[in-house]
Amino acid sequence: MSTVASAPVKANRLKTSSLNNQLVNDYWAEVFEAKQNGKLVCWYEGVAINPLMQAADVAWVHGEAWSALLAARNNEEPAQTAAEHRGYLKELCSYARTHIGCGVLAQKRGAEASGSSFADALGAGLLGERVPAPDMFISAYPYCSTGQQWDEMLYRLFGKRIPIFNISVPWVWGNKKDSQYLGGSEFNEAVQFMVRQLRECMNFIAEHTGRKYDFDRLCEIMSYVKQAGRLRMEAMDLCMAKPAPASFFDWTTSLAPVNFIKGGPAIVDYFTKVKAEVQERLAAGEGAVRNEQYRLFWDGIMNWNKIGWLANKFAGYEANMVAGRYTHMGFWHEWESIDVQDPLAGMAINYLVCPINLSAPLMIEEIIKLCRKYEIDGMVLHAARTCRAFSNPQYLIAEAVQKRLGIPVAFIEGDMVDESFYKDEIVSSRVEAMLEAIESRRRAGIAA
Amino acid sequence: MPAQAILAQFEAAAEGPLSWATEWKRTHGTRLLGTFPMHFPGEMAHAAGCLPLILQEQQDPITVGHGMIYPFYCGYTRSIVDQACKGEFEALDAIMFGDHCVQVLGAADVVRAKLPNTWVHFYQLISSMSDPWSLSRARETFAQLKAGIEEMTGQPLADDAIRSSIRLFNRNRDLLRQLYELRREGRIQFSARQMQLAVKSSMVMDKALHNELLKQLLAQLLSARPSTGSGVRVYLSGHFCQAPKTGILDLIEDCGGIVVDDDLYHGTRFISTDVDEVGDPLTALAQWYLARNLKVPCPTRVDQKADWETYLLGAMERAKAEGMIVLMAKFCEPHMYYYPEIKEAFERRGVPHLLIETEHELNMLEGLRTRVESFLEVVKRRAGAPTRRVA
Repeated sequence: MSTVASAPVKANRLKTSSLNNQLVNDYWAEVFEAKQNGKLVCWYEGVAINPLMQAADVAWVHGEAWSALLAARNNEEPAQTAAEHRGYLKELCSYARTHIGCGVLAQKRGAEASGSSFADALGAGLLGERVPAPDMFISAYPYCSTGQQWDEMLYRLFGKRIPIFNISVPWVWGNKKDSQYLGGSEFNEAVQFMVRQLRECMNFIAEHTGRKYDFDRLCEIMSYVKQAGRLRMEAMDLCMAKPAPASFFDWTTSLAPVNFIKGGPAIVDYFTKVKAEVQERLAAGEGAVRNEQYRLFWDGIMNWNKIGWLANKFAGYEANMVAGRYTHMGFWHEWESIDVQDPLAGMAINYLVCPINLSAPLMIEEIIKLCRKYEIDGMVLHAARTCRAFSNPQYLIAEAVQKRLGIPVAFIEGDMVDESFYKDEIVSSRVEAMLEAIESRRRAGIAA
Repeated sequence: MPAQAILAQFEAAAEGPLSWATEWKRTHGTRLLGTFPMHFPGEMAHAAGCLPLILQEQQDPITVGHGMIYPFYCGYTRSIVDQACKGEFEALDAIMFGDHCVQVLGAADVVRAKLPNTWVHFYQLISSMSDPWSLSRARETFAQLKAGIEEMTGQPLADDAIRSSIRLFNRNRDLLRQLYELRREGRIQFSARQMQLAVKSSMVMDKALHNELLKQLLAQLLSARPSTGSGVRVYLSGHFCQAPKTGILDLIEDCGGIVVDDDLYHGTRFISTDVDEVGDPLTALAQWYLARNLKVPCPTRVDQKADWETYLLGAMERAKAEGMIVLMAKFCEPHMYYYPEIKEAFERRGVPHLLIETEHELNMLEGLRTRVESFLEVVKRRAGAPTRRVA
């Protein structure tokens, strides 16, 4: 057992991740050129509604994805600074601050359109400045009220002239006795409400493109999405093996194709290759970390500034982060519910059961199932400072897994894209304490 | 009853809401239905024979609650969790709510976990206010709420009963608005602390009793000759779910400010809009829900037809206020989003304002005094004339 990280250890990341990077790069390159290619651009937040835009040949910018990309490439700071200069406080969602900062930048390029007193906050040539200004906004934020307000701020920042459409996503709370995961009268009513709004959203898009909405194209796109969703879940299921051939960090870097990349053969091809690599590793007994001693669960959103850092850090502890709420409880994980002839209800279901939109009792049951399925030894809860949506139920989750499964937990602090909230020494001490607790339980013969 | 005695009653309810409500339940046998602030209609709970009680941030230090929620949450959320963990909501028969501020949702999950024998129900109000389906969705939600209340009480809830409660609540809002108007005009002397007690106690007390006390208070205030006071006319903005600490209100007035108006939830925001008293009550409540956002725009909603900053500039003008103090509860995300809009609008118009970030732990009063004094000096200098006389 090694509870103190020694010499730098590299996680054994999936090689196919590089293909994901290519998909991401190609996607953004196309977005940057969208205006020159005569496409309208939609800025949106929240769940993966990009197929709705793709079917209408509209380019899309997902706010969180864009902010995460900037952070992953160490380019988030200028946009965050621009937002802070306008008066947005640091305790506000860092995704939003980064994206709104990009709005400030885009206004600068749009010059006279702005009216913002902070449009000159940044120098030229930064990545954050390349995202094209929006022609429409669509807000589709589950659970988190901040998401809807973030879009409203962008709408205001751009002079209240760009059309905006709000999809209100009901929280899956459960007043009634028949309430259950994916079922019950309230859930069914929420699905119907979502379907009504998705239809209205298609009308909104058609109105602004001036073209009849191509529903058949949406069905075709969703058939690829469904296949990708299935392959991803199957590949993740293979990680029940010991050692697990891939980690939560691999699945995090594989989110783009099921979050905002175009629905098409490329995303199916990507997950086919990912699954094949996982199968190869399985056959060879190769794990995502060397000498897997601990199997952990990550609760909470990703820290995009630290993804490689954290993957290596846990590999150094011989700890494999096998699964997580973020990766395993969202992103078309309920692919079976999608009817490719009429995909709206299936889309609505996936949006409703995304990793933040379940109330604690339902969420905890799903997490417990995953912990059992992947034979988890300990849980790391990432308290993202500016993402209350993910942080909200974490004490209840921690309490439940400790009581019901007897596994120790470690709370670590950080953030999605604001690196200043991450304190590595605190992370180290808490993780090491948890690993000691696992060891202690093993010595006492309580756990395997 | 003398005015001081009425204010003492208001204070007892406002500062000890759970004790007051528990005693009411004991003596009147009514169910207690707690709600979260800010948009939930108490009328339906009242119509069902319950005492609707808007759960308040308590003054106590937050202790055991920190075992269930992170410290980077607003004081209201942390206080609610703390109260639930300490068992202080035990007397409540139900907690119902409909706002979906992400922090309050976190508190709601903890409250439900800690009160397994209490009906903790959520009826999500649409927060996008200007969609073609906003009104119908709000009505659907109120219909679900009605069904939930009927299930809790085991009794059908008649439309006439709801209308009757609407009339009572309208009367309460009207009486409180009269207080505001008289203060704005300088016809009565009423401090910011006293105004808060009047509004906050309305969130707790039985409405018929509260109306009676308000009527008596108004009569006495009008009969008293107001003493003329002088000071900088200040408008207070912000603080949604939780009431500003009365210590801060006192400090502003001690420093030479006279609070003449506000858009606080424990103030104008709460009483701005009446509900239609005829017709289908569920439709009337849905219309009220949308209308009040146009009357006093709320940053927790999104509404392309409303502008909070424009409203504030207009409200200051109507109240002849000379400066605005923004009270922002630390970690309040809706306020953090909208503050730059206000800041830019006020700077463009040259209207002075001061941002004060407040915390549950009241440990910054003396530092605040210097800032408020400086701000009021700046306002006076900008006015370029002797301080306006009030009344």
